[in-house]
Amino acid sequence: MTMRRPIILLLLAPAVLLVGLLFVAPLVGVMSLTVHDGTSFTAEPIRELLGSRVALVVLERTFMLAASVTAICLLLGYPAAYFMSTLRPRVRAYLTYLILLPFWVSILIRTYTWIVILGREGIVNTGLGALGLAPVQILYTNVAVHIGMVQILLPIVIITCLASMLDIDKDLMKAARSLGASPAQSFWKVFFPLSVSGAATGGLICFILSLGFFVTPALLGGRRSIIIANLIDLQVHQTLNWGFAAVLATALLAITLACLGVFWLLMRRRVEFSGAGLGR
Amino acid sequence: MKRLLAVYFVLLVGFLILPLIFLVPISLSASQFLEFPPTSLSLRWYAAFFEDPTWVGAAILSFRVGIGATALSLVVGTLASIALVRGNFPGKSALTAIFIAPLILPTVVLALALYIVFLRWQLVDNVFALTLAHAIVALPYVVMIVSASLRRFDTTIERAARVLGAGPIKAFMLVTLPYLVPSMFAAGILAFFASFDELIITLFVSGGAQTLPVRIWNDLGLKLDPTVPAVAVMLTMLSIVGMGIGEVIRRRNEQRYQSATPPEA
Repeated sequence: MTMRRPIILLLLAPAVLLVGLLFVAPLVGVMSLTVHDGTSFTAEPIRELLGSRVALVVLERTFMLAASVTAICLLLGYPAAYFMSTLRPRVRAYLTYLILLPFWVSILIRTYTWIVILGREGIVNTGLGALGLAPVQILYTNVAVHIGMVQILLPIVIITCLASMLDIDKDLMKAARSLGASPAQSFWKVFFPLSVSGAATGGLICFILSLGFFVTPALLGGRRSIIIANLIDLQVHQTLNWGFAAVLATALLAITLACLGVFWLLMRRRVEFSGAGLGR
Repeated sequence: MKRLLAVYFVLLVGFLILPLIFLVPISLSASQFLEFPPTSLSLRWYAAFFEDPTWVGAAILSFRVGIGATALSLVVGTLASIALVRGNFPGKSALTAIFIAPLILPTVVLALALYIVFLRWQLVDNVFALTLAHAIVALPYVVMIVSASLRRFDTTIERAARVLGAGPIKAFMLVTLPYLVPSMFAAGILAFFASFDELIITLFVSGGAQTLPVRIWNDLGLKLDPTVPAVAVMLTMLSIVGMGIGEVIRRRNEQRYQSATPPEA
């Protein structure tokens, strides 16, 4: 069924108008603020960014935080996904619902629960006190930020890893076993290499989402935990330095888009790869 | 080995879910402070929510904006999905990517961008403008779910209606739309909660107006009393029930049409 051009345009018009006016145009506006101050072109905001110690420290911290959260999510998520891939489909479906359950609760509330659990008079410290142990300071540290972010992002990593593992033909491992490989060998030499691209996809999504986190570092971290989204918020609401906020936002956007570019290349290779091998 | 993995898996699921369960007893505490386990139980913090006009006002604003954003994104997104799935035009995949982009790009960037244009257009503290902004965040869910469902639809049924004399619009309205309604419903629920949970954009563009997440956010900076856990439990119930209903309807519809659709090639 082919549609004529005017009808296509008519159907798309409202969405294009909405997204154009309230998504594309504002983003272009922010980006243009970094090279144009309203009257003429300028390199001042970019110079300000490169000259700002705070911005560079926060950018580096954002990167490191995203990297370590991603690493933890992959280390924790991969074995969980592997376990799920060995189960019967029905059981697996129920467990998938269970894993995705926290997903339906707002990030603000999921973060809030950690304040209650990790706080000075929170559940952990009350428990330690009952055992006669000294309280620990976890809330308002980087540890708390990691805990909060991993809890939010882990389901995404598990589900992405699982999806690629389910595409792996289980007969390949049986073939490896019958040719004399040990269970460990058939896992590391056959299963693991085939599951790497799915894990990489999950890791990259996790990394990209981590870069933009705002609520978790703000609520669970201390002053030394603020990352780029929090710095943008500070520039707008406290310092009232919008030009600087715009440069920071553009930098964040550029980094995200670069990661998406890598993601796209990865996906394309994966499609070629799996399309050639497994006739699914 | 497998038993070890099973134990590990249970612990991990505990880490993902237990924190949410802790909220229930804390919200039922009779004490002024957050305590676990509560020494005595009461519903006073649930009552406190309904007695405080700022909480109720925030909830009403959240529902207003959420319903508006859902209706808007549902209409706009469904129309666009029809063009994206059925039409063939240059730039189709790029356009799809732009519609989905708000889901993955950092929200704070969009929040700042919208704040700057809203200031210029004098739309800060305007409920309608806030609704439009929330529709942007809700749109990706509608486009993804409705176009996925439309792609699965067997067009021979619609063609049969055409052969039997229905015009293109009548055939769509009588055949395809009824098939789409359940997935639109599911998409609508996701869209609603995308708006209902939205914090960052609202924080930037709403001026002083408080939606529920903004009200919670402002409360967290000041004091920690059990009103927030009570609100959190109510919100969590609402979203789990809402999304559960959406999922059930979507699955039932899929089963219903499964016999009518040919096996995937």
